[in-house]
Amino acid sequence: MDFALIHNLSVGFGVALSLQNLMYCFVGVLLGTLIGVLPGIGPVATIAMLLPVTFNLSPISALIMLAGIYYGAQYGGSTTAILVNLPGESASVITCLDGYQMARQGRAGPALAIAAMGSFFAGCVATVVIALFAPPLAEVALKFGPAEYFSLMVLGLVGATVLAHGSLVKAIAMTLLGLLLGLIGTDVNSGIARFTFGLPELSDGIGFVIVAMGVFGFAEIITNLEQGASRDVFVNKVTGLMPTWKDLKDSSGAILRGTALGSMLGILPGGGALLSSFAAYTLEKKIGDTSKFGKGEIRGVAAPEAANNAGAQTSFIPLLTLGIPSNPVMALMIGAMMIQGIAPGPQVMTERPELFWGMIASMWIGNLMLVILNLPLIGIWVKLLTVPYRLLYPSILLFCCVGVYSLSNQPFDVMLTALFGLLGYVFVKLECEPAPLILGFILGPLMEENLRRAMLLSRGDATVFFTKPISGVLLGIAILLLLITLAPAVRKTREVAFQE
Amino acid sequence: MRDKKFLGDVAMKVRNGKDFWAGLMFAGFGLGFMLVSLSNYPMGSAVRMGPAYFPAVLGGLLALLGGAVLFRAFVSRFEHPLKLFAFRLPLLIAALVIGGATYLADSQLKGAPMAQFALAGLALFLFIGAFGPKSLFLILFAVVIFGFALKPLGLVLSTVLLIVLSALGGHDFRNKEIVILTVVLVLFGVMVFVKGLGLPFNLWPGE
Repeated sequence: MDFALIHNLSVGFGVALSLQNLMYCFVGVLLGTLIGVLPGIGPVATIAMLLPVTFNLSPISALIMLAGIYYGAQYGGSTTAILVNLPGESASVITCLDGYQMARQGRAGPALAIAAMGSFFAGCVATVVIALFAPPLAEVALKFGPAEYFSLMVLGLVGATVLAHGSLVKAIAMTLLGLLLGLIGTDVNSGIARFTFGLPELSDGIGFVIVAMGVFGFAEIITNLEQGASRDVFVNKVTGLMPTWKDLKDSSGAILRGTALGSMLGILPGGGALLSSFAAYTLEKKIGDTSKFGKGEIRGVAAPEAANNAGAQTSFIPLLTLGIPSNPVMALMIGAMMIQGIAPGPQVMTERPELFWGMIASMWIGNLMLVILNLPLIGIWVKLLTVPYRLLYPSILLFCCVGVYSLSNQPFDVMLTALFGLLGYVFVKLECEPAPLILGFILGPLMEENLRRAMLLSRGDATVFFTKPISGVLLGIAILLLLITLAPAVRKTREVAFQE
Repeated sequence: MRDKKFLGDVAMKVRNGKDFWAGLMFAGFGLGFMLVSLSNYPMGSAVRMGPAYFPAVLGGLLALLGGAVLFRAFVSRFEHPLKLFAFRLPLLIAALVIGGATYLADSQLKGAPMAQFALAGLALFLFIGAFGPKSLFLILFAVVIFGFALKPLGLVLSTVLLIVLSALGGHDFRNKEIVILTVVLVLFGVMVFVKGLGLPFNLWPGE
């Protein structure tokens, strides 16, 4: 066994097991479960809301709490998906299919138990995957120059657009718009304020909390209200949590496959919980006896639940090793790190080992907390679901507004957020997926900076991006991804996959 | 008249209204960013890129993609109506009148920047109200009012404003419920934000 790994993990557990960090981990997973249960508010909006609060925390506590929100949401989402056929979180949409059917057959207990056990198993495996694969990847990343970084970001953005819902062209356009919005503010090289319309408030650029909160938080509330979604909640009784021996036997393979698939897909740019759960369900439907799918097949709960938790966790790998976010939640985590004065990237692991390993250890602890916490608390979560949306959204709005205002204590930020809320509403109306926009927004300035440096080093020779081996391979993969997506056969299945 | 007929013909041929507006939006943003960078900032060279280089290239690409989406609106396999948004003529006229007046009276209003700001904001909101649903207008209005009221009016009153205005944006306004919700949220806000997290908000006007 790798001795350094054991040493590192023990450092991590030392940090994560301190009373303060245990508390923040608990708060994070509890909050995460809560928002996972409540439909209409997801981890992106919640993390955006809580960012200002993390100003006063130590960096490690802040990151532990925010990470807990993300994977906690995966647990919470499955609870409501199974009990009331409402996906509290987008990644648990797929769990509704068989989970709710199981609940209607009076087997809600085993469904919930298998979901929790699958998630826990996947969480443990994903933690080990991060611990094993992050360090070598970071070592490679330390050798990256500006050209490699630029190509890596291109690959990340291409990945995000390929995996976005709906039209590819629109997704690319949204990425470009995000990159451009990210450039607003003072240009680092020349000191010229770009696109600020003379407003001093914009000279530091637009805070990404503002963009995320407007485009995700406000726009979601507005469209929910416009659709007038009224929820009738019929709660199925939970009787007996213990799955039968047959359930365990049936689902163990599915959990293993889901975990493996989720761990891999989580690492991909644009990947994460949502993609993982969809892919795992599709895979299960192709294996073995498929007659019971959609009618309460336990494998249809086990596989996507394991996959979404594994995917949620391994999506931290690109963030922690390369400093590149793979989805909007990770983009917010980058923001949280920057607020704390930590430049995300491969150097974090060597310069701040306690931060890196502490976070990984906390993920395992958090998963354990979730299993212990979730099953007994199911009754409370279900009660919460009966809170009507008309009471929920003003409360969410208050949190958002206070969060945004406290960024700089100026009304300007609040106004700007409202403007992005308007933009977000238009995006929803026009079927433009906002996730690539957020990624582009975060990467805009980084990409420009690396492009400039690379071009300066190569004396204006743009072929450098292709002639340098690592950079060339990365760009090659990006181009290949785009071409594959444009291929007619894949285009068709992609449309089908996203319509399901 | 001919122009109107021409526009009508174009509108008839749009198959996918969502693509049509999205294309216009992307093309508009792209051209906007490109033109602003090209006309205001130094371009530099490929070796030493000036501040205009990257945004101009990105803006150009975005405009091209916008054009492609716009083109697709006429040949798309999916059909969506062109009329995706509400249209309320009185509000639009009011918005244009107030906005225009504010613009023309620029020199007279120089002494009162707040009044100028408020009028411009009002025009913007009327404009939003002219095209969007009630929820869009009222939610955004509630948010902006909260932002501007927090310092002068204090947390308590601005929370009341936010909750009541945003509740009006829903479908089902129940007086008693809103009163209870407001009281609970005000208490929560004071306890958690001010006492707990120590955010520097005053509770009442003029503190």
